[in-house]
Amino acid sequence: MSATMLAQEDKLSRAQGLMTSDPAQALQIMDTVIQHPQTKNDFYTWTIRAYIYYELYKKTEKLKLHSAIRDSILSSMKTSTELKPDSEAVQNINRMYKSLAIGYKKIVKVLLEDSLNYEGSLEAFNNYKKLLLKIEPKHNFEADDIEYNLTVGSFFSNIFNEDNKKTRAGEIAKVALLKVLELQPTNSSANLNLGLMYYNQAANLSKSLEYGADFTEIDAIQDNMIKLAKQSEKLIRTVYDNDNKNTKSILALYYIYRMLVDTPKFEDFKKKCKEMNLDIGENKPAATEENQNNPQNKDK
Amino acid sequence: MNFKSNTIFVRLVKRLKSLNTYLLLLLCLISLRFQQGPSSFDAVSKNKAIFIYGFTKYFEWPEDKKTTNFIIYVVGKNDNLVAELKKLASLKKVGDQEIEIKNTTLIDNNINPHITVFTPENDIKNISEMAGKMKSKGSLLIAETPGACKGGGAGINFLYIDSKLKFEYKEDAAKKAGLKTKEDFKKLAVENY
Repeated sequence: MSATMLAQEDKLSRAQGLMTSDPAQALQIMDTVIQHPQTKNDFYTWTIRAYIYYELYKKTEKLKLHSAIRDSILSSMKTSTELKPDSEAVQNINRMYKSLAIGYKKIVKVLLEDSLNYEGSLEAFNNYKKLLLKIEPKHNFEADDIEYNLTVGSFFSNIFNEDNKKTRAGEIAKVALLKVLELQPTNSSANLNLGLMYYNQAANLSKSLEYGADFTEIDAIQDNMIKLAKQSEKLIRTVYDNDNKNTKSILALYYIYRMLVDTPKFEDFKKKCKEMNLDIGENKPAATEENQNNPQNKDK
Repeated sequence: MNFKSNTIFVRLVKRLKSLNTYLLLLLCLISLRFQQGPSSFDAVSKNKAIFIYGFTKYFEWPEDKKTTNFIIYVVGKNDNLVAELKKLASLKKVGDQEIEIKNTTLIDNNINPHITVFTPENDIKNISEMAGKMKSKGSLLIAETPGACKGGGAGINFLYIDSKLKFEYKEDAAKKAGLKTKEDFKKLAVENY
């Protein structure tokens, strides 16, 4: 072995020794190793470089959707793979792919919860899938798709339920929940969330009506309200039919049948609510849900 | 060349496995946490209150009833409707008259209302009795009992067609109560008697 080769090996060992304690310093060393003619075509060099970048990434950029360090890890792993690595290096590269994929999943959560960034979360989720496919080309993403869309659906339906003017949130939630139902038609959470969205939207239509509304306007609102309530009933009924002890579905159906003025079913679910000690707010006046405005100038 | 940092990778993988489980749990928790319940808002009562207020635009009450508060009297138990009417009263007037809401379970003959609303548990007999007593006293009787218009003396009777709130109308009952009606009101009713 030549002296220059030994020198490069030595650099590599130093870089490895520094990778956890001082990855920035380790990278400086690696920059010379990857340029040296005797080591630049060695898969090992590039795998170590990827790993050092990974250490740096963990410390500084693991929650970034767009990370130059992550890009460097990926490009180093790509180069290593092109240089025909041995089986052990392949295993280690695959582990890094997996860890980066999982990192994207964490970013999904952060982007949704902290910044309501749906597009970003979708990008992170798709990147998660792309990286996982590199190591598991036949991976079935159905469970992941359900989990992701359910999270998005629950998150944005909540925003929409709180304020129906946030129609974009409503649209995102509907698309996500419908995707879940496409994959798993009996999924309780998706049926319940989408059903509640429709029902609450129906209730809000009535809430938003002015007391001075004319009969034509109220007629149109009633049409929409009933259409939504019927859509809601269908979805929530699926949940109840699969599990007749599901308290959320029982409570929702009680309110839906009240809205649809379906007295026999309303009475039936009222009885079920009472049997299960569910709070149906019989003593609460309906108007308490809204703030009681008392303007000085009343409308005539 | 041996891969010297293999043990580091083993540790890394262990950490990642636990992280993956943690993330899965976290996402499940997020989706559960944001599952809201159904709104308890009673849309049917709100719609009824809007209808009742809408009726006031089509009738004229006797002169002696134009100086007092405009009394809407609910006979029977319907907390949601009473609450909606009270909210309506806080926001609207009938002409220059303040709206006042009264509610008793049984009929109170001491109350002199402009509109009397009978909840569904009131039978035709109750409504007919009230209609007799209120003759020419300027109270529009609104019921929600089958046949209340046709044979029970109510001026207006609520009913539901395909879950939609509608009403039927008996002009003669309103006239007997001493009210004047706008002609176009009939067109709004699903049935006129």
